[in-house]
Amino acid sequence: MTFASLARRVAFAAGLLAAAAQAQDIKLAYNGDLSASPTAQSGRAAVLGIQAAIDDINSAGGVLGRKLALVTRDDLAQPQKSIQNMVELIDNEKVVAVLGPTNSGNAMAWKRIPNEKKVISMQSNAQATDITKPLGSDADNYIFRLSMYDRAQAAGLMAYAKKSGTAKIGLLTETTGYGEGGLRDLQELAKIHGLSLLATEKFAVSDTDMTSQLSKMKAAGVETVIVWAQGTPMGLLLRSMEKVNYLPKFLASAAADNITFFDAAGKTLAGRAIFLRPFINPDTPAQKKLFERLAPKLAAPSAFIFAMQGYDSTQLLAAAMRQAGGTDGPKLREALENLQAPVQGVYKTYNKPFSRTQREGLTPADARWVHWDGDKLSEYSDTVTKSLTAADTNR
Amino acid sequence: MLTSLLQALFSGLTVGSAYALIALGFSVTFATTRTLNFSHGDFVSAGAFIGVAVMFAVMGIPLSSTTFSGAQPPSAAQLLALLCAVVAMGLIGWLLFLVGVRPFAGRPGMAWVMSTLGFGVILQSIGMAIWGPKSVVVPGPFGTEVIRVFGVGMLPQEVLTLAVATTVMLGFDHVMRKTMIGKAMRAVAHKPEVAGLMGISVGAMMVGAFVVSSVLAGLSGFLLAPITQLSLFMSVAVGLKGFSAAIIGGLDNPRGCVFGGFLLGVLESFINLWSAQWREVAIFALVILVLALRPNGLFGTRVMDKV
Repeated sequence: MTFASLARRVAFAAGLLAAAAQAQDIKLAYNGDLSASPTAQSGRAAVLGIQAAIDDINSAGGVLGRKLALVTRDDLAQPQKSIQNMVELIDNEKVVAVLGPTNSGNAMAWKRIPNEKKVISMQSNAQATDITKPLGSDADNYIFRLSMYDRAQAAGLMAYAKKSGTAKIGLLTETTGYGEGGLRDLQELAKIHGLSLLATEKFAVSDTDMTSQLSKMKAAGVETVIVWAQGTPMGLLLRSMEKVNYLPKFLASAAADNITFFDAAGKTLAGRAIFLRPFINPDTPAQKKLFERLAPKLAAPSAFIFAMQGYDSTQLLAAAMRQAGGTDGPKLREALENLQAPVQGVYKTYNKPFSRTQREGLTPADARWVHWDGDKLSEYSDTVTKSLTAADTNR
Repeated sequence: MLTSLLQALFSGLTVGSAYALIALGFSVTFATTRTLNFSHGDFVSAGAFIGVAVMFAVMGIPLSSTTFSGAQPPSAAQLLALLCAVVAMGLIGWLLFLVGVRPFAGRPGMAWVMSTLGFGVILQSIGMAIWGPKSVVVPGPFGTEVIRVFGVGMLPQEVLTLAVATTVMLGFDHVMRKTMIGKAMRAVAHKPEVAGLMGISVGAMMVGAFVVSSVLAGLSGFLLAPITQLSLFMSVAVGLKGFSAAIIGGLDNPRGCVFGGFLLGVLESFINLWSAQWREVAIFALVILVLALRPNGLFGTRVMDKV
């Protein structure tokens, strides 16, 4: 036997072994926007976090004696593509759970698929309230979330407005699915709190000048505005406020944490937005360690939150697999709904985060008040935020 | 109340001046070659991105960056960027004419619609490969301090856009009506065969129309970038509004197109005072109404297609 043929045989055998190992890997998937729109920033951050968790789990011996592996699919922020990816990942790739997507509209478009195919969907990015609602009143629900969600934020913002004692509240929302969803939540909450809204105005996501809408708000005497929009138009809204010399209290949806908001509003005006976020800056040792590991690959430090949500989602899924003793969809769902042991995440330690009815891993109690201080996010505090209790925000 | 009306008027005129510049770009090629550059919107964002790339290069910021990080590009860099943007767009316009329009111009059929649309898709894809999907914040040459006149707040870049666009449009009008080259262009537009017999180079006039139109697109992009956030996705909205303005004013009448642009901008702004939610509905209902009553636009003259 020549050396070359021996080498070939060894290589072939190694290949077979690798293929066998590959076949035993437990596959997780990420399906979301990785390239097509500004939300791609959060999709890429989530993938970094998921991969980091998988590396950590694998180097500690994997799950049930098997390694985890990640399959990613770019949905280009398009609902059709996202649906196609879901079907392909579940039917062909046989993944155990799908994380993502980045866009709420896409999650709503394929919500039925994981439920019908009995595969876990872990929402690590999208925030629309309705995503985690079950298909029917007693239907099994395969969708879980580890991310701040719209309803919790809206409840916090409305509670702030109520506690601040002003009766002069106005809403400013964007005419997209995101803006309309937020508007519905806010209007419902205003009713719950018995607040009447002085004005409700809208603007398009591509608008650059909102002075006309603001003139009306100013004339109506609105003192506190609650804004639900994406980063860029929200920043330009503040610019328009400066133009008409009208700077009411500015309570914002969490998109204000995006660097696009900071850039569009500029350093001085960006600081006016007060919003809720489950996380401000890496401060525990575990958070700092993960941040240092991922920071070089993150588009902006503010995107780290999505990496952390990806990381913790993966840890929760791994814990569920261990408890279920397998990767069968219905068993995984039951395990997630009833996690026996606490799960140590980077964001926090999760004690029974989910149940048959509780689908949100992060709750209003996890939210913190934030604003831009210079070019960094920092904790916001005033007499109103100090007086707010969990009962106020948990509506 | 008066202040908010004045504010709406000013805001509308600013947005309208951008629409007008873009509408004029559509009109220039239509009047001379009876074809349109359907990727005009992509030309606008391409011009803006080329300008930003030049400023990044001068200031030593990596091309892949998304922000100037608060740094103010020096005036020389701004001027150089403007120059590069318009020259590059002029050349790209020339290329578009050579490969996408000349083979089909003057022939029956709509091949040029597809070829100009395709050219835009190619431009956008190249831009995506170089700059990615991100949006870029561009600082204007005169900062962001609000100027206040009679209680109306204006950003320096808005005033600049309004002034430059108006000047360029007046200059264009003067050239078209009073100079030899303008008369030659109008002659080609009117009757190309006769213009050719009179010794006017019809081919050169057509190339010129595409170059001028693309230069206008580059200029609009450069002026708009600091007002909106620059992204490759802004082209669709910008192109559609500019085209609507041209349709309202009359595609073959440059003055009409400019009027259409200002009218659209001011209407949008005043409709916002009533209800922003219904703005797009109102605007496009108006476009359809104008087309129904005057198929060639408010100031158009030519019957578009003789069947």
